[in-house]
Amino acid sequence: MAGYAHPEVLVETGWVKENLGKPGIKLVEVDVDTKAYEAGHIPGAIGFNWQTQLQDQVRRDIPTKEEMEKVLGSAGISPSDTIVVYGDNHNWFAAYAFWILKYYGHKDVRLMNGGRAKWLNEDDKKLTTEKVSVTPTTYQVTETHPELRAMLPEVLAIAGSKSSNLVDVRSPDEFTGKVIAPPGMSETAQRGGHIPGAKSVPWSSAVNTSDSTFKSVEDLRELYLKQKEVQSGKPTVAYCRIGERSSHTWFVLKYLIGLENVKNYDGSWTEYGNLVAAPIEK
Amino acid sequence: MAVDPSKRVYQSVFELLPSVENPTPLVRLHKLVPSEKFELYAKLEWVNPFGSVKDRAAWYMLRELEEKGQLSEQRGVVEASSGNTGLSLAALARARGYRARVVVPNKVPMEKKVLLKIAGAELDVLNDALCPAPGMGDGSINMAKTHAKAQPDRYVMPNQYENEQNVRAHYETTGPEIWKQTEGRVTHFFASLGTCGTVMGVGKFLKEKNPKIKIIAVQPSEGHDVPGIRNVAQLDVAKLFDRTLVDDVMEIDHELAYRRAVDLAQSEGLLAGPSAALIFEGARRVVERTPVGVGVMIFCDNVFKYTSNMVKHLPELGEGTSV
Repeated sequence: MAGYAHPEVLVETGWVKENLGKPGIKLVEVDVDTKAYEAGHIPGAIGFNWQTQLQDQVRRDIPTKEEMEKVLGSAGISPSDTIVVYGDNHNWFAAYAFWILKYYGHKDVRLMNGGRAKWLNEDDKKLTTEKVSVTPTTYQVTETHPELRAMLPEVLAIAGSKSSNLVDVRSPDEFTGKVIAPPGMSETAQRGGHIPGAKSVPWSSAVNTSDSTFKSVEDLRELYLKQKEVQSGKPTVAYCRIGERSSHTWFVLKYLIGLENVKNYDGSWTEYGNLVAAPIEK
Repeated sequence: MAVDPSKRVYQSVFELLPSVENPTPLVRLHKLVPSEKFELYAKLEWVNPFGSVKDRAAWYMLRELEEKGQLSEQRGVVEASSGNTGLSLAALARARGYRARVVVPNKVPMEKKVLLKIAGAELDVLNDALCPAPGMGDGSINMAKTHAKAQPDRYVMPNQYENEQNVRAHYETTGPEIWKQTEGRVTHFFASLGTCGTVMGVGKFLKEKNPKIKIIAVQPSEGHDVPGIRNVAQLDVAKLFDRTLVDDVMEIDHELAYRRAVDLAQSEGLLAGPSAALIFEGARRVVERTPVGVGVMIFCDNVFKYTSNMVKHLPELGEGTSV
């Protein structure tokens, strides 16, 4: 983890093993595959379901403050706890949970480097199907951080303006408009392409595919800042299709590379690509 | 009691499993082979009791676990599979009295999923279409590992992608069968790459017998949906693969797999599945530039499990099938 701008937000699997069951440390698993947690999880870890717990069930939105308080309280988490999130697919949805937790002002949130796959493939690490016994808490959100989230008016203002960096983390075929969404996706848009001025950096370019860990800070800086010319002095907005993959890139840009002002545009292409008369590049 | 092959009476299904004494058939192709001087044989692996080449690896892996005392009434196997290994393992395990759990990606044809349930497998179907990304890894392998790790009292994972028994099965059965059946005349061996057990085991055996024998791996083009086989870009999960044993890796447009399956059925009377048909197309191209030789192709399984896949790729097959 040498050289990352904020190494304190990343923990290794070995650290997690050593700290299992310690008071004040809460493990949370968030997977793309919502059946994975049930099949086996790190002993003591709570599972969050991104479909039913990490989004509003009526509006298209992140959970409300009250909903988030309920999710955290029913998981037995207190504001002073250290939350360690991890998940499948290179921590993709774990990073989304991290973003929401930071949005709602939880102080100490960390991501387990390599996620579920790394833990699973290490011989000395255990998994269990045992249910975790939880003592519910009354969690109160005392601050929110809207500066971590880009909403549509801001995105429209910066589209094509060069005042901010726009990072499109979808696949190259989605970026060029060859496809509107990956095959089989139910969430889609009326038009394909990308927001004018966006740079294409698929989200998984930030990880070592062999073990799902993040690439070194040197490799990340080379990729985002040099090759893709993300300018470190400017505000940056990351987006994808529904806002989850871009949370992963948001984490990389903000905490590992250390850009000052990074936002996740969770409306992403399924909002932007449905707008009437919005500028699109292909 | 030794089995008398002329009577074909077996005391249990296990005696049907292939060996040098009970090899799967070699059938020579004629009409679709571009040179009469090239003897091209299909090794009909669908004659195996559970319908595919995977019976060999599944049996070896299961027997090893039995011999090591790893299986019991309470503890069975869990495996990630595109269907064939799962089917062989489940059927063999259930017949031996063990439970079997199989994790398959959703893209596996419905026929295979139902077959797994008929064979008695507990079935996990993974949603593999959730925003796929390059290098995402194989979700079904990790899910099978999860079951084995979280419930070690219920499951052990043979892991066909890393299990040396997968190679050994072919080194001890498929390879020697081919050597004996061709009376040592074989010049070319064609197979596809999946776990790579077939290519590694047969390749090693044949190269030891005659280093001049060409071992040719045929792979589908990227983005394919031919079940059970992999493009080289997907091979990082196959820990058994050793490139030095392979003389050539041919890449064939995966759409041709489906077209050639029809050709094989209609011209040669061989109801081969798409992966076998892909291997045939690779072999056919080699015969075009090497008109003399004796080739053996692994015909992994037959087409019965793939009718829905066939219709997807060749829509004309679906025409006129309902009133």
